[in-house]
Amino acid sequence: MSRFYRTPRQWLLVLFCWITLSALAQEEVKLAPVTRTYAITNVNIIQGPSRKVDMGTVIIRNGVIQNVGKNLAIPADAVVIKADSMYVYAGFIDGYSRAGVVKPKDEPNRERPKDPGNPEPAQAGITPQNDVRTSLNPAEKSVEDLRALGFTTAQVVPYGGMLPGSAAIVQLGGSAANDMVLLGNSSFYSELTSAQRVYPSTVIGVMSKYRELYRQASQAKTYESLYASNRAGLERPVNDKILEAFYPVIDKRVPVLFKAERILDVNRVITLQKELGFNVVLGDVKEGWDMINKIKAANARVFLSLDLPDAVKEEKKDDKKEESKKPADAEKESLEKRKAEAIAQYTAQASVFQKAGVTFGFSTASAKTKDIPANLRRMIAAGLTEDQALAALTTTPAQMLGIGDRVGTVDNGKIANLVITDKSYFNEKSKVRYVFVDGVLYKYDVKEEKKADPKSGNAKKADPNGKWSYTTETPQGNSTGVIKIKNDGGSYSGTITSSMSGQETELNSIVVEGNSLTFSFGFNAGGGTMNIEVSLTIDGSDFEGTMSVGSFGSFPMRGSKEPNK
Amino acid sequence: MKTIYIKVLALVLVGAGLTFTSQAQSPKGKSGTFALTGATIETITKGVIQNGTVVISDGKITAVGTNVTIPQGATVIDCKGKFIYPGMIDGGSILGLSEVGSDPRTNDYNEVGDVVPQMKALTAVNPNAVAIPITRVSGVTTSLVVPQGGLFSGTASLINLHGYTPDQMYAGFDAVVMNFPATGRRGFFDRRSDEDIKKANEKSLAKINEVWEKAVQYHKLDSANKGKVEYYPQLQAILPVVRGEQTLLINVNASKDIQAAIKWVQEKKVKKVIFSGVSEGWRVADEIAKAKIPVIAGPVQSLPTREYDRYDRPYANPGLMRKAGVTVAIQAGDRNMNYRNLPYHAGFAAAYGMGREEALKAVTIVPAQIFGVADKLGSIETGKSATLFVCDGDPFETKTQVQHVFIEGWQIPMVSRQTELYDEFLERSPGVKK
Amino acid sequence: MKRIFISLMLLATACLVFAQVDRGNVLIKGGTVLTVTKGTLENTDVLVKDGKISQIGKGIATPAGYRVVDATGMFVMPGIIDAHSHAGLDAINEATAPVTAEVFTGDAVNPFQVGLYRALAGGVTAIHAMHGSANAIGGECETVKLRYGVKDPEAMKMEGAPRTIKFALGENPTRVHGSGNGIVPRTRMGVEFVIRESFSQAKAYMEAWDAYNKAKVQKGFRGAPPAYNRRLETLADILKGNIIIHCHSYRADEIYMLLNVCKDFGIKRLVFQHVNEGFKVAPELAAYGAGASVFSDWWAYKFEVYYSTAYNAAILTKNGVTTSINSDDGELMRHLYHEAGKTQKYGQLSDDEALALITINPAKQLGVDNRIGSIEVGKDADIAIFKNHPLSIYTIPMITIVDGVVRFDREKDADDQRIYVDPKQTIDVTLHTATGHDHESCMQGAEYQTARLFGFNLLEK
Repeated sequence: MSRFYRTPRQWLLVLFCWITLSALAQEEVKLAPVTRTYAITNVNIIQGPSRKVDMGTVIIRNGVIQNVGKNLAIPADAVVIKADSMYVYAGFIDGYSRAGVVKPKDEPNRERPKDPGNPEPAQAGITPQNDVRTSLNPAEKSVEDLRALGFTTAQVVPYGGMLPGSAAIVQLGGSAANDMVLLGNSSFYSELTSAQRVYPSTVIGVMSKYRELYRQASQAKTYESLYASNRAGLERPVNDKILEAFYPVIDKRVPVLFKAERILDVNRVITLQKELGFNVVLGDVKEGWDMINKIKAANARVFLSLDLPDAVKEEKKDDKKEESKKPADAEKESLEKRKAEAIAQYTAQASVFQKAGVTFGFSTASAKTKDIPANLRRMIAAGLTEDQALAALTTTPAQMLGIGDRVGTVDNGKIANLVITDKSYFNEKSKVRYVFVDGVLYKYDVKEEKKADPKSGNAKKADPNGKWSYTTETPQGNSTGVIKIKNDGGSYSGTITSSMSGQETELNSIVVEGNSLTFSFGFNAGGGTMNIEVSLTIDGSDFEGTMSVGSFGSFPMRGSKEPNK
Repeated sequence: MKTIYIKVLALVLVGAGLTFTSQAQSPKGKSGTFALTGATIETITKGVIQNGTVVISDGKITAVGTNVTIPQGATVIDCKGKFIYPGMIDGGSILGLSEVGSDPRTNDYNEVGDVVPQMKALTAVNPNAVAIPITRVSGVTTSLVVPQGGLFSGTASLINLHGYTPDQMYAGFDAVVMNFPATGRRGFFDRRSDEDIKKANEKSLAKINEVWEKAVQYHKLDSANKGKVEYYPQLQAILPVVRGEQTLLINVNASKDIQAAIKWVQEKKVKKVIFSGVSEGWRVADEIAKAKIPVIAGPVQSLPTREYDRYDRPYANPGLMRKAGVTVAIQAGDRNMNYRNLPYHAGFAAAYGMGREEALKAVTIVPAQIFGVADKLGSIETGKSATLFVCDGDPFETKTQVQHVFIEGWQIPMVSRQTELYDEFLERSPGVKK
Repeated sequence: MKRIFISLMLLATACLVFAQVDRGNVLIKGGTVLTVTKGTLENTDVLVKDGKISQIGKGIATPAGYRVVDATGMFVMPGIIDAHSHAGLDAINEATAPVTAEVFTGDAVNPFQVGLYRALAGGVTAIHAMHGSANAIGGECETVKLRYGVKDPEAMKMEGAPRTIKFALGENPTRVHGSGNGIVPRTRMGVEFVIRESFSQAKAYMEAWDAYNKAKVQKGFRGAPPAYNRRLETLADILKGNIIIHCHSYRADEIYMLLNVCKDFGIKRLVFQHVNEGFKVAPELAAYGAGASVFSDWWAYKFEVYYSTAYNAAILTKNGVTTSINSDDGELMRHLYHEAGKTQKYGQLSDDEALALITINPAKQLGVDNRIGSIEVGKDADIAIFKNHPLSIYTIPMITIVDGVVRFDREKDADDQRIYVDPKQTIDVTLHTATGHDHESCMQGAEYQTARLFGFNLLEK
């Protein structure tokens, strides 16, 4: 048994190293804008929820909204954006995510901890002294992706375990980390996440450790002030960065932002809040509707998740008269029904919170960026009004984060964070055309609608020909590489490359069907060959799919075509 | 404190009625001629006989009925107010193949390799396993010992729970064991994706098909060359199954897998087949019945296989299958060496829809028939093996005491290590003070 | 300083107003009432008001607005109490250290596990949701009432139940910490040492706080308090008699060891769990007043249970030890009535003795016998109604009532009892887990151990 498993484990290690390729980034030099003055003309201005100016003008100067209204004089130095019949909104605010936060490289630590009960704090996920501002990078793709949806501001949190560090509110733009920061130490970020193989390795360990650190911090803080008032004859207090990090929380100067996706997470966080008394913000709540009374009682602020479970696909019902149903079908039907009801509850959560009078913003922490507009529309279809949705994207989070004087509405004097769409944002066909972050313009080309006819079922056949760069998410972290595919008169051949081995490996059984691409390749290690299977879906010049490594599981793989030289 | 002991003593003597006769340290089985008189005899196959007698001689039941002449010199056991049943047959155990669950050195049921049908359970049965007396004194006299793991785990054998060598225990039935590739998850630790599970399943199925095809080829070559073929132990072990001479015991549980297994059996034209486990049999009971494949269902006392299933499905499973026309035997399928609980598994099935009569058959005559040993075991009939037990009530009732057990005519000593510990420690001496 | 903590604690308890619990009004008519403590009453009614048993007698008139449960021909017994379970918990073992007294399974209560409903369907109304047995001193445990259907985990907790804590001796802690990580304990000698060391440290901690608190009130005192330590706080509470020890144990020698340790530290409230060889030291257990919570017949799954006997419960009972039968298993839990029945086969206990093993005795062991465990006026209306006598193999639990609220009704309940449905589940896949008993589930969550056992640690970080 153990022999069987040990060898593949070694293979796997080598494999993950092998697929880690260093991709050289193209050095891109951005040219400075000609002016920092803009006039957005002839535009529907949604200044805030239920505040609309039809066909007005917005003037931006030096990163600030200078004027909003009808019939405004256009400054001579302004670049004019003819936003005819478009819509302008205040840039959206994401209450909790990791946009622009560089993910630390996971260093594979395969050694067994010597004394798992007494790990170094960092190993245990206890790093509250960390500050997310030290790991910001405006060039992260996540910034660009969120901004393209109209988000201009986000509260971002560091990576880590139960106490990753302090959060910051950032602008989703800029060219250097400092450009981004609107407010540092905006909250004390916490999770119920346990450590790997060391204490605390379970949620009960995390809860206990949280209580202990909090109380030790209160104790240390009290003693420090005692010492400060009269030092004579007293033992010097120990300097403890971890406990110090709690002080602003104990003083209620900074709230605790707690990740609380599931109902039981919400309950556990509120349990800690009740015992310890801190101000709490629940982050990325997905399943909170049965906890509303408790949330209210705890005076908790809430960011609801913009992630939703996939909607049930409408299946074409056969017009044929119902044939005698097998018991299995009836069972499946009732299960589908319960599943659909469950999905409906998630979708209706925002509306339920609204009706219960709980104020909330939204968070994108775990949402797939591309699903966010559709998810907002699903929430609206489930009972949230467009104004309520807009409030949760703009004015409410601005208030909750204490930045309402700077962002959240289209008003004179506010930071020029704007999003301009060709139709009402919540319209299914709406497209984001321009986004301003701190008065800096980002333009979005509108691609021609794809003319693919879904009815014919003949989606345009994908063209796998060419050189593709890819990324896979493996347990060892993300890794990248290059795939080359050539059409040899009807059949395909190709290679996958590796800088580690300096070798190109032949791809086998390449199959292209519609927009799906599958192939496999052998990975040679330790005197045996493992077959690795890849299955991808091509969408234009991007692909997405999975890489399966035998019984070790499947890992997501995505990539894009490199332009022809 | 002392008063408690006196009370306890009194309780034991008066209430429990246990006899502390001076027995030999290690009592042995006895053979000879016995007459069990005045009992209610549930023959299983021939109705219930009130105030009847069973005569045992030379390992066989030589007479059953109300007008029976007791042979001269027979040891007469008065069974007035008592009940006689055929020994219960458990259709799936690792008795004698395992001593201590967590200690691999005491476990002999899982050989290296996923295709090892040539591994014989009977070889590794330890006739002196501690669990054997513990099982038989509860009336479970016969057990199918089954190798575990892989795709073809080995060859199972039916044994009677008395004897000093495997051959003395052998009860005349063998089956090649196959674990039908499962589409379900193996447990909470199984975090494979649905896709991976599907692939693993397809791979296993391909392997099973490959083995079977090779076995068919081997059979053809063997027939053509009159037995002169190359040594190929795996295929040699499967040969009798291919030829329809031996049974293939297929462990299969999920409904989808059961359907796939039925299809496989039909495609391959496997003649003798038993399904074992069959925890989701109720979902596809009609299909099993139509395929005329007998099942050994169990454990009955188990959890539903799916979160959304009705809580009592495992209890009702044997009854639901029986109602659909499936031939159903019941096994305890226990991993804690508690095969003695077979009557309770049957009792639960009885309570949850199967009915007492069918459940009783499911642990006696039905497994005997499925295993092709109904001429010897499974009912109280003249000429059959004297493998039976005497008890003071319904054998499924929890409180019923089994008082005598005969296996192939041998009167079994009614002791096990567990009863010995009871005898020693009920009133420990010395007590707190030495 | 201590005052701050006390006030913090007070604040905490003040905030933790007990979650709203549904309490019903029911009249259970015409059943055979097995009170367990006060005999068997034929054709008797039980009246329940606001979740409490208010009257037991014949021909009680139905008060207006009361639900009537017709129990004619059926058996009415106190709800079954499982003194050893890990059901309804999201985390069981904080297996990273030999002593983790500070953790608390009450933090991990999950009211949505279908297993809780399935236990209700076996007549169980309360369970002791325990920490696992990976550590010599595990965490505090929660006494849970099976109010299945509530969504607030706090509403599952039995309000006012005494604190309990899990200890563990023998193979599990020595395997996890000694063999697994090369730290004490690797032997039963080490287990004793770890427990004695912990108690000694807790004693010193307690004394340091006492000294500080005494000094603090003196005029002109200035100084630092002892460092707050949750592990030692909990251990000190054991020494103060505020927490009942429930100790996983098998062998007679280790049971005897803990008796001696507890004697030395003046700890009186002690229950042994599993305690397969308890029968060997039954006189000592009885003399100490320690309880025993046992399996009816499990054995052979590991070496330390090789010398077990199914007569254990009977020997313990007849030696005067307060004994219960537990499950430690999601399946066994569904038929504890049957497990109790086995003591009539193995040791011929009377009906009341057998029923006490799953009702009043576990209630005593959890310190809640003033509330549950028998059918008596004033007690919580936690009641199980059976077709046929509950000790008969042919019995079927029909209705289970918790606090006067019907939580299980065999005739009326839908098949699918999930409260939260996974909106992402693929409906076609059979989650086909191995059924049957898989010996003690105590070790669940000692995950990398489990993973290693199955060879699934390939992708472990």
